[in-house]
This record gives sequence, C-alpha cells and structure tokens, in this order.
Amino acid sequence: MKQLLMFILLSGLICWMMFAPVYKHLAIMRQALLQQEVDYLLEVGASGTYGYIGESMIRQSRERLAARGFVAGDLVYEVSTTSGVDATSSASPVPRGTGIRLVIRYPYKNLFAIDRLIGAAVPDPSGMMSASGMKMSEYVPDR
Amino acid sequence: MYKLLLFLFSVVFAMMLHAFQMDQELALRTLFWAKHSLNRAAHAAAQQLDPDSLSRGVIDLDEAAAELAALQYLQANLQLDEHLMPLPDSFLQARVEVLAFEVIRASESFPYEYTNERLAFTVTLRRPGVVMAIRVEYPRLFSLLGPVSWELKGAAELVEL
Repeated sequence: MKQLLMFILLSGLICWMMFAPVYKHLAIMRQALLQQEVDYLLEVGASGTYGYIGESMIRQSRERLAARGFVAGDLVYEVSTTSGVDATSSASPVPRGTGIRLVIRYPYKNLFAIDRLIGAAVPDPSGMMSASGMKMSEYVPDR
Repeated sequence: MYKLLLFLFSVVFAMMLHAFQMDQELALRTLFWAKHSLNRAAHAAAQQLDPDSLSRGVIDLDEAAAELAALQYLQANLQLDEHLMPLPDSFLQARVEVLAFEVIRASESFPYEYTNERLAFTVTLRRPGVVMAIRVEYPRLFSLLGPVSWELKGAAELVEL
C-alpha cells in the first residue's frame, strides 16, 4: 500500500515536471509571436506608403497568427495615435510626425492549468497577455 | 531510500535546466524588444525638422525636439516613466540609461561617419540623422544566469520627404 502511494505520487510529479515547462515555453512563444506581429504591422502601417493600420491589415494579421495556433477571434487589436485621430482608415492616413500605437492582446486561457493542479498562483484564464509598440508615421500626402 | 534521494536530486537538476533555458529564451526576446524600441526612438527623433532652417530652404533637424521625441518614444515602447524608470507593468526592472545621443545636422558633410570608440560603434549617415545608444538590464527570473545587460546602439536618417 505504501509503495503504491509512493508510485502514484512520484508518477504525478514526473508528469508535472515533463509538461509544466512546455506550457511556460508556449506562453513565451505566444508573447514573442504577438510582439513580432506588432513590430511587423507598425513597420508596414507607419511607413510612407500606408500611414494607417486598416481593417484588411488586421484581418491578414489574424490569419497569420491563426496559422501559428492562435484562435483568430480571441485576438484583440487596439490602434491609437498620439494626436487622437483614427489610424484604422485608409481614407485618412495618419500624417508624418504623429505616432501610431498598436496593442495586441490574447487571453492566457488554460496555459497554466497544470500549475493550478499543484496549487501555484497563476494568471486568470481570462487575463490577457499583450504586446505593444509605438512608431512615428512617415506618411506624407501626395503633392 | 537512496533511490528516493536520487530521484529528488534529478528533479532539482531537471528544473534547474528548464529554468536556465527559459531565462535565456526570455533574455533574447527582451534584447530584440529593446532594440526595436531604440530603433523607433531614433526614427522618431530623425523626423524632427527645424522650422527655422526649413524657412531658409534647408532641411535640418531640431536638436531639442529630436531629443524630446526620442525619449518620448523610448518611454512609450519600453513602458518607462519620465526618469526612464520602468512603470509597474513594464517587464524591465532597472533604469534604462542613455549612453549616447547625438544629432548629426545638415551642416556636416555627407556621407558622415559617426564613431564612438567607447561603445565600439561606427555608422555612416548619408543624410542628417540621429545616433542613440542605451543600456538595458535584463531582469533575471532566476539567479542561475549571470547578470545580463546590453549596450544597444541605433541610428536613423531623416526620412525622405
């Protein structure tokens, strides 16, 4: 009986040891992918050609992230500017000198459920990981 | 009994390996994040035109406005306060130091080569621009890794109008 108890305890510990770090790695990778997506969208959106981060760009970004295992519908995009004007419309690009700020959020979901099993304090599943960045627009209207 | 000890020992060893790997992974991510933030700060600074020279038909940079913009963008991207101390929700924990900030104005002859011996940094600018270097310290999760800090260098030229 004692041996059986010991076996259950140890095998449980081994399972936790094998899987818990994988989920930490997943959290880091997701955060990194979000940051990479923010960098890319800002690089393109704030360039002289566009000057906005429009609906179609965000839709394509969702598709890219979905290909990496994100649930497209759960991604939250927040686009704002330093001057307060709207930066999502292709009809009115943000002029040169104004900063475009982008935040992408994604819920943690059950990434840390395995840690809750051993009683560790973990982020709420509805809590959001986020990546953000701000870049100055280069857009100059056509003369 | 000795098997149990061996087991516990290997558990500790495996966890240390995981912690070490995770810290290195995060450190690399932080390095890229800080470098991109620095690039954006230099980029914003290099767009600050001096209205006085512009009125004379010379495209030149305004040094005071450039420095203000650079700091503002660095603060926004790295989530720092006005003294470059990390805000409560920033990933960083130590103050970010500005090691070098230089505005290369239109009065220089181009191509201009900027050299900083101390930082071992050389960059060639073809137009007026901004050179900036910061020191960022990585907040280690575990003390397995030695202290990590980077001297990041960035430069940006005036964007073509």
